[in-house]
Amino acid sequence: MGQEPAIALRGVCKEYRREQIKIPVLTDLKLTVDEGEFLALMGPSGSGKTTLLNLLAGLDRPTTGEVVVHGQDLAQMSEGQIARWRSRNVGFIFQLYNLIPVLTAFENVEMPLLLTSLSKRQRRENVRTALRVVGLEGREDHFPRQLSGGQEQRVAIARAIVTDPYLLVADEPTGDLDRQSAEEILELMEQLHREFQKTIVMVTHDPIAARRASRLLKLDKGKLVGDVIQAQEVAS
Amino acid sequence: MIPIKYNIRNLRRRWVTTTLTIIGTGLVVASSCILFGMVEGLQQSLRVSGDPNDLMVLRKGSTNETSSYFDLSKVVELATIPGIARDEKGRPLCAGELVNIPVCERANGSRANLIIRGMDPISPALRPNFKIIEGRTIEPGKGECLVAKPISGRFKGTRLGETLKCGERESYRVVGVFTAGGGAAESEVWVDRNDLARNTQRTGFVSDVQLRAASAADRDAIQKTIQTGTQFNLLAMKESDYYADQQITGMVLLVIGSVIAVLLSIGAMFAAANTMFAAVKSRTREIGTLRALGFSRFDVLLCFLGESILLCSLGGLLGWLATLPMSALTFGTNDFNSFAEKTIQFRFGPLVFAVAFAMTMAMGVFGGLFPAIRAIRLDVIKALREV
Repeated sequence: MGQEPAIALRGVCKEYRREQIKIPVLTDLKLTVDEGEFLALMGPSGSGKTTLLNLLAGLDRPTTGEVVVHGQDLAQMSEGQIARWRSRNVGFIFQLYNLIPVLTAFENVEMPLLLTSLSKRQRRENVRTALRVVGLEGREDHFPRQLSGGQEQRVAIARAIVTDPYLLVADEPTGDLDRQSAEEILELMEQLHREFQKTIVMVTHDPIAARRASRLLKLDKGKLVGDVIQAQEVAS
Repeated sequence: MIPIKYNIRNLRRRWVTTTLTIIGTGLVVASSCILFGMVEGLQQSLRVSGDPNDLMVLRKGSTNETSSYFDLSKVVELATIPGIARDEKGRPLCAGELVNIPVCERANGSRANLIIRGMDPISPALRPNFKIIEGRTIEPGKGECLVAKPISGRFKGTRLGETLKCGERESYRVVGVFTAGGGAAESEVWVDRNDLARNTQRTGFVSDVQLRAASAADRDAIQKTIQTGTQFNLLAMKESDYYADQQITGMVLLVIGSVIAVLLSIGAMFAAANTMFAAVKSRTREIGTLRALGFSRFDVLLCFLGESILLCSLGGLLGWLATLPMSALTFGTNDFNSFAEKTIQFRFGPLVFAVAFAMTMAMGVFGGLFPAIRAIRLDVIKALREV
């Protein structure tokens, strides 16, 4: 689409303070991601992958530097603005799915739409569409405990895409799944990337999962140590 | 906004703690309802006429009708004072009444003072909602009596058709049972004034006169005439003033009741807060998720505050409903003015409802506020990592 990158990080540093000690997590990070890229973030524990993901998703703010997503400098927004921005622009996929246990699959997927001005009917249509995309038609009334791990993650993906966000962020989306379910989830994410041109950033420990992405970033000790454009593998 | 079904289902999911909290708050609300039901019953019993233009005429120097007596002839004169209200038949609302308080035997064998009121034919018109609910009214001179419903059955010989005996000389056949809107008359037995005068050898005297002025201005004028005119030289009190002393008992109960209600509510607030803190703790990751999805701190605050209010409302409603059947109960107490048995009915009216509602809201809001604040202060990223 446009010339503007989907994500642009300039001079991003992030440090946490524990008592008086500063713990640097990300140091002087520079990164540009184009629209429609499927990015995998790898690195050892504590390398700053999740912190980077949280910065991109507007859950966290850099100590210094700029995080520009979809043309918006997230560091400049107030907390309320950034919450609203998240609800419209970011879809979250978590390792532990983070579904609301007391809500059905349908109601879970509907949650982000409650923050929009859509009518009940429109919401219902969008939820049905999202559940169809992830292959869970007919499971609308199931509660999370009545679904398998893979199915729960599909509901979570449906919830992430139901608002048609600009960016999908996934933190170890297959970390809690068996190989078979993990493959299916990765396939689904690839399909979202391929068919809907979603920009996806995925943190993973799993090299097999990382191979599905179009670009692989490696982080170590808060620094980018590898940036590889990968040939897209088609699932066998 | 986070939909309310989220709260309802969460309350249902942890039904054990929910039930225990509901029972706790319910008991607190119920005990306060009982207390205030008593206060309200007492207040009702002192609302004798509800008419602010009612005057009570006593002998000068008397503070109550027990120690008051004066000549029957003055009743006739009093009735001629201009400004006295009249009933639909044109009779002046001015009733000379004679009161006797003998010791009578209760149904359980113990003894207590009972107010026997020698009534004027116009007397019922001066009581609020006076109604004969069983039998008929008395015929003068036949030794008949009307018994207030709460008294009927409490004392020996007070049921319809029975004969009430008080002391050596007094005996009356019960021909009717009446109610009087819960007012003071509901602790009394009414007989014909002449019968009572004859039985107690007080012919030609009354204890007091109850009268109603046509307006507030008339009331003041009548009061002045009675008190300053040499013709009468009697004491005329506004009925509300007459009962003011007795209302102090009600006020004391009200104050004690309020203090107890406040203390109980604070206790229950902790119970609700405890439940809600546990709810916030166990749903930390959910809260993080909701915030990540874009729900604001305010949404989360409302959500948990709403859940707490919902929880306490269920308890409050239960407590309030549980005490409603008690309105059928009557309790006896001593009237410190006349030393006569006074029956008071529990009343669950607007005061009790207001107390129950206020307590419920206080418990819900204050019990939920701190847990809700904790929920919104959670760091989203840390909350998301909570397992």
